[in-house]
Amino acid sequence: MFRMALRTLRLRKGGFIATFVAVFFGAVIAMACGGLMETGIRTAVPAQRLAAAPIVVTGAQTFQLPMKNPGDSGEDVVSGDLVERAGLTAGLAAELAAVPGVTAAVGEVSFPATLVGTGGQTLGHAWSSAQLTPYNLTSGAAPALGEVVVADGRVGDRIDIGAHGVVESFRISGTASASIDEPAVFFSGADASRLSGHPGLVDSIGVFAPVGTDLSAALNGVSAEILTGDDRGVAEHPEALPSGENLIVLSAVSGGMGILVAMFVVASTLALSIQQRQRELALLRAIGTTPRQLRRMVIGEALIVAVLATAVAIVPGSLFGRWLFEQLTANGVVPPVVAFHQGFIPVAVAIGAAVVTTLVAAFAAARRAGRTRPTEALADAAIQRHWLTGTRIVFAILCLGGGLALSIVTVAVMTGPVAASTAGPAAMLWAIGLAMLSPGITNVMTAILQWPLRAVSGVNGYLAMLNVRARTVRVAGAVTPIMLATGIATANIYLQTTQNTIADLAFTENLRADAVVSAQVGGLPPDLVGRVQRMPGVAGASEHVTSQAFITAPFTGTNDIEGLPVSGVTAAGVTETNAVKPVAGKLTDLSGNTVALPETLAADAGVGVGDAVTLRLGDGTSVDVRVVALFAARSGFENLLVPAQLLAPHTTVGLAPQILVRATPGTDVGRLTETLRTLTASLPGVVVGDQAVLVAEHEKAQDIGAWVNYLMVGMIMAYTVISVVNTLVMSTARRRREFGLQRLTGSTRMQVMRMMGLEGVMIAVVGVVLGTIVAAGSIVPFCLVVSDSVLPSGPLWIYFAVVAVAGAIVLLATLMPTWAATRLRPADAALNDD
Amino acid sequence: MNRRDSDAVRLEAVRKIYGKGDSGVKALGGVTIGFPRGGFTAVMGPSGSGKSTFLHCAAGLDKPTSGAVVLDGEGLTGMNENDLTKLRRDRVGFIFQAFNLLPALTVEQNVTVPQMLAGRRPNRKHVHEVLASVGLLERRKRLPAELSGGQQQRVAIARAIATRPAVIFADEPTGALDTRTAAEVLGLLRESVGEQTVIMVTHDPVAASYADRVVFLADGHVVGELQAPTADAVAERMTHLGTWADRVRTTTQAESA
Repeated sequence: MFRMALRTLRLRKGGFIATFVAVFFGAVIAMACGGLMETGIRTAVPAQRLAAAPIVVTGAQTFQLPMKNPGDSGEDVVSGDLVERAGLTAGLAAELAAVPGVTAAVGEVSFPATLVGTGGQTLGHAWSSAQLTPYNLTSGAAPALGEVVVADGRVGDRIDIGAHGVVESFRISGTASASIDEPAVFFSGADASRLSGHPGLVDSIGVFAPVGTDLSAALNGVSAEILTGDDRGVAEHPEALPSGENLIVLSAVSGGMGILVAMFVVASTLALSIQQRQRELALLRAIGTTPRQLRRMVIGEALIVAVLATAVAIVPGSLFGRWLFEQLTANGVVPPVVAFHQGFIPVAVAIGAAVVTTLVAAFAAARRAGRTRPTEALADAAIQRHWLTGTRIVFAILCLGGGLALSIVTVAVMTGPVAASTAGPAAMLWAIGLAMLSPGITNVMTAILQWPLRAVSGVNGYLAMLNVRARTVRVAGAVTPIMLATGIATANIYLQTTQNTIADLAFTENLRADAVVSAQVGGLPPDLVGRVQRMPGVAGASEHVTSQAFITAPFTGTNDIEGLPVSGVTAAGVTETNAVKPVAGKLTDLSGNTVALPETLAADAGVGVGDAVTLRLGDGTSVDVRVVALFAARSGFENLLVPAQLLAPHTTVGLAPQILVRATPGTDVGRLTETLRTLTASLPGVVVGDQAVLVAEHEKAQDIGAWVNYLMVGMIMAYTVISVVNTLVMSTARRRREFGLQRLTGSTRMQVMRMMGLEGVMIAVVGVVLGTIVAAGSIVPFCLVVSDSVLPSGPLWIYFAVVAVAGAIVLLATLMPTWAATRLRPADAALNDD
Repeated sequence: MNRRDSDAVRLEAVRKIYGKGDSGVKALGGVTIGFPRGGFTAVMGPSGSGKSTFLHCAAGLDKPTSGAVVLDGEGLTGMNENDLTKLRRDRVGFIFQAFNLLPALTVEQNVTVPQMLAGRRPNRKHVHEVLASVGLLERRKRLPAELSGGQQQRVAIARAIATRPAVIFADEPTGALDTRTAAEVLGLLRESVGEQTVIMVTHDPVAASYADRVVFLADGHVVGELQAPTADAVAERMTHLGTWADRVRTTTQAESA
């Protein structure tokens, strides 16, 4: 049978091109996503600054977060992410150096430093750690207290450097260079420790010892990680780690979606090619092919096509994966320091996935082929076939039931933006369920459409309607991808726009700043907020620090691995700059070790004003704080308020990056802004703006997430579009004979075109209506949860654009092949067998 | 008993009704007939007489509603689709009006397909002899699309006789051919008799005249037969058949009224 399958393929290339194209693009998407996933899993960041040290010890950026009430049965923990740099004590370097086999262990600190005058942004380090790259002196000597080594400069000159909120003057003691191009300035050990904002701590320790040296003696009881090879760069760029996790999720979702769409499309192209060869299959049955042999032949054909298509997809898949990765780094989703990796594993997995997908689709097609009755060889193959099989009913019930269940869960159980995690899959389930029933639905919908269509288009519309209704199964093959494309695109885009709108709303509704002082790099001096508060026309000023924290005791059950957003505020200015209304206690009591909690969280934890809770801050430090106030927060956007002075030292920067300023009534905000600019003029990189600065910053962060979503939706859309065109071109081109006959019986070429145009319109309308139902099945429950409204937020034109694109594609993909197929003289076309 | 064993195909009270209940359409209304080995029989009848259904039931392509079919000594009743397929592969050859050949396979491959399907290695020498006997040995590497209609039918004959089946069924084998080509094809079919039994369904009296015997069907019943027919005699008989069928129909309606 295999040889026969091969021969058939060689002769009937046309019938398999559609399947080939579908598998090819499916495999390209799967391989690209596989590459992104491998990149995410490895999160390989080649070491630059720490390249000379074979082993790098760095503070663990995770901690064991209990997920169950410790009172129950303890050990269920996940690793919670620490968003701030978790430092190591400087003394640890000496202990590591004492480990046998270690020749040296050098602590490394790294902090932003601005070279005033040149405006150059660099990273400040201690000279003792220069050997970790290594940097070598090109002139002068190592820096003493108050001296620096820079890349360019004259020994003996003085230079102003801004770091940790202050500007100081240093003498250049020497210049140094290294093989990397990462700007650096080296201080004396004492200066570096002070300016890093975390005196006594180091970011990581470079260990000069052979890889594999047992360091456990020195690291006993220390929350640290040992990095070697391409993992060492993670110590330089801890932000690469969460981006790696994002990549994994992103690629898994997109790859999965791609494979799912591929399964649909391949199944429909195979079914189409089986239908078009009905007569040949019947002949095979008549002359002695058993149903089993026929099934094996169909599967064999599909297998050959799948193997060829995936083989051809390897190179484009790798290129596409790299391109996607470049887009992700260019848009700040992944730091550019992460190295793209696409080894043979993702390729092998993608090939496997594509082949298995094709096989699943081929089994369905083969089952149909196996049911071919031999007598069909003797008569014209019937167009219409019985479609509502038991399998279809079972899948339809399962999927629609699942979709309904997820929608109910979304409305009843989920709160806030997390609802998207059930609303998204619900769309997929609705789509599959409707796809199973699409021949029946198409039939019903065309029955409804026939009256308006006949009214406006006369005989062409009548013919088009008859054609569509006579070939419901075939038409459903084109309707399904249109439904998938409109459904997935509309659902995902509006889920995203609604989520953005709600997040922006949650962010801005609590902000009341007339002016915002921001440090673009590093932080603001700790005494600045006091100076701003004493300025005339200022009603209140509060530092603004953001981070993530966990409530570790008492147990609340609401922790997830990212923790809760926490804001640091200044007690004296918080009521003026923050719209949060306490329902108990006072926000002005936020000083020392205190916290203000959303009431829902407090209820979960069973605490009230005056009670103690334990927080795990972003750098892993545990602090006991007293609850001083409770407030109402928007569901899904609960955050904690703590004093900025408590929070700032536990952030990577070590200082508050922003100060929110509220003017007294009647004060000219423009004048106030100008005064603030004068006040901060001496600080490099500090800007003064209004609240829009903060909002814009927040939206930019949101847009990165949204952009990723749009990219992936775009990819799936493009794939679906290719499939629709594929299917329509294939089925239209095959109707050459029918068009010929129709023209012989009196239709003009224009009339045939018009009839096909109307068929296209019907396919598009049915597909778009079903797609809209699919999207609504996911969007409506989500919107009910996050905004108590049925309709999503977001511009309406997006929907119309999706609909217009879907319509245009269907019409083009129907009319172009019709035009080509009617180019022959009608008499010749009518004789044509295929 | 002896007589029945010598039949290549025998139908016993075969009825075939399409659909169910009152809306069912009776295609065969109890046909009993035998076809002796080595004979060339033409089955004739006007459109709607049940010719095609008769062929489908006799060849094991379709299952009768009731009655029995015995093909080469094997009762088809109770056989499942797989058994029927294998029986067709080994003991039956088919020649259809058109669409006889697999477009992807060469002439030679088309002839050997049934043997390949059965998992047997085709005997090249025998296949070449068969192809030579239908005059297509030189064209054995061609694809069906490169052959004329008559040549395609000759390939179908070659395929049908290559497995040395017990019976060859031909369904309007010359329906799509011009008179001269049809004569060639029928002559070829005629020659193959002796070794094989041929049952040919046709409505063309000239085609039927190549047979040893003509069986007439009307309204799902056997209504007569002719031995050693001439085209004229067959045509004459066919003209009367229409009248006969009308009479039967009237009688049935009167009875049921």
